[in-house]
Amino acid sequence: MTQLLVGLFMIIFLALPPVAKIMESVMIIHMHMQMPMLIIAGFLIAKFFQERYPGFFEKWNRNGLPGIMLFIIIVSFWTLPRTMDEALNEAGMEIFKFISLPLLAGIPLRDSWKRLGKIGRNVVIILFTILFFVMGWLYVDAPVQLCNNYLVIDQIILGWGFLTTAICFVIYLGYILFVDPSKYE
Amino acid sequence: MIKKNWQTTLAGIIVIIFGFSLFFFGTDGFTAYTAEKARVNKLMHDRPKFPNVNFEDSKGREYSISEFENKYVFVTFLYTSCTTVCPQLEMNMLQVYKKIPKKYLGKDITFLSISFDPERDTPETLEKYRTYFHSDGETWRMARIPNHKELDTLLKAFGVIVIPDKNGTFAHNSAFYLVNKKGTLVDVLDYKKPDEAAKTVINILKQEEGE
Repeated sequence: MTQLLVGLFMIIFLALPPVAKIMESVMIIHMHMQMPMLIIAGFLIAKFFQERYPGFFEKWNRNGLPGIMLFIIIVSFWTLPRTMDEALNEAGMEIFKFISLPLLAGIPLRDSWKRLGKIGRNVVIILFTILFFVMGWLYVDAPVQLCNNYLVIDQIILGWGFLTTAICFVIYLGYILFVDPSKYE
Repeated sequence: MIKKNWQTTLAGIIVIIFGFSLFFFGTDGFTAYTAEKARVNKLMHDRPKFPNVNFEDSKGREYSISEFENKYVFVTFLYTSCTTVCPQLEMNMLQVYKKIPKKYLGKDITFLSISFDPERDTPETLEKYRTYFHSDGETWRMARIPNHKELDTLLKAFGVIVIPDKNGTFAHNSAFYLVNKKGTLVDVLDYKKPDEAAKTVINILKQEEGE
């Protein structure tokens, strides 16, 4: 119950017009802070739905694949330069952002993550590593302004945000590949 | 092993269909991944009318858009303090200008560079700026729109987004705009491809002549 309230509070707080405006005025905060926070909010809310409708998740997301695919689709969709612009210019898209990220990305992520095995999880991380390298390279190297609402310099900063995140994923993957935690327990 | 049941399989299929449709409709059928591309596609489809605005050109002359009635107008948007895109945009505009046969210039088509920085781009500034690009001020004019409201209407109609930043510069999207004799926007051309743009314009002018 607490998690539900915290999640809902986060969404409402993020949706407050002054808060949303400030966060969206900086490209990297828009994509790498506001959007992940919405996903985290959904992640927290998920527990309420899992307890309330355990049958639904057990039936429709038994192996976690549909959920994780939905998560990947929604997140990739919001990394497109166009969707970021449209969220700023069109009210409908902005509302869709605030609904889709918690409900269609946050909730399925939490439910799927524990259902996916070790290999499944690592595949997801590898996938996002590749996606983030590609998006980072695109935003850093693009000779043109990709988003009409942001300056090229913002775009380059965002690109580096993607690249550093991807580098962190690589470090993590290297860690689980080369370090056996059981040795230290 | 992987636990499966028909609901989960069905859910997977639904998710894939949903994802496909989301991307399909979100990118206009996989054609527009940036808002700029979507903007150009939409402009070509909507064909907005050139709004009624008043210009003040580099010679200090004032006139409305009706000055260009019965002529094609080849339009770009710029501000003279710009050091990045605008000079390139205008250089490319010059290349298009040079390629248009002389007989059409001023009679069937006029080139027009519109400044969206009316405070700084006074007629004197524009008069000086014009010479950098060998514009004659007649068949290729440079003008500002002193009235802010009118300027905003035009920028909005043509989807030009201008963001002022801290250093007195602007970030903006650039393109060549072609307005027909009736004042309707008929084409948005890539400013990085002046040869192609010139070809398109000449073809249109030739067709008109043939009629």
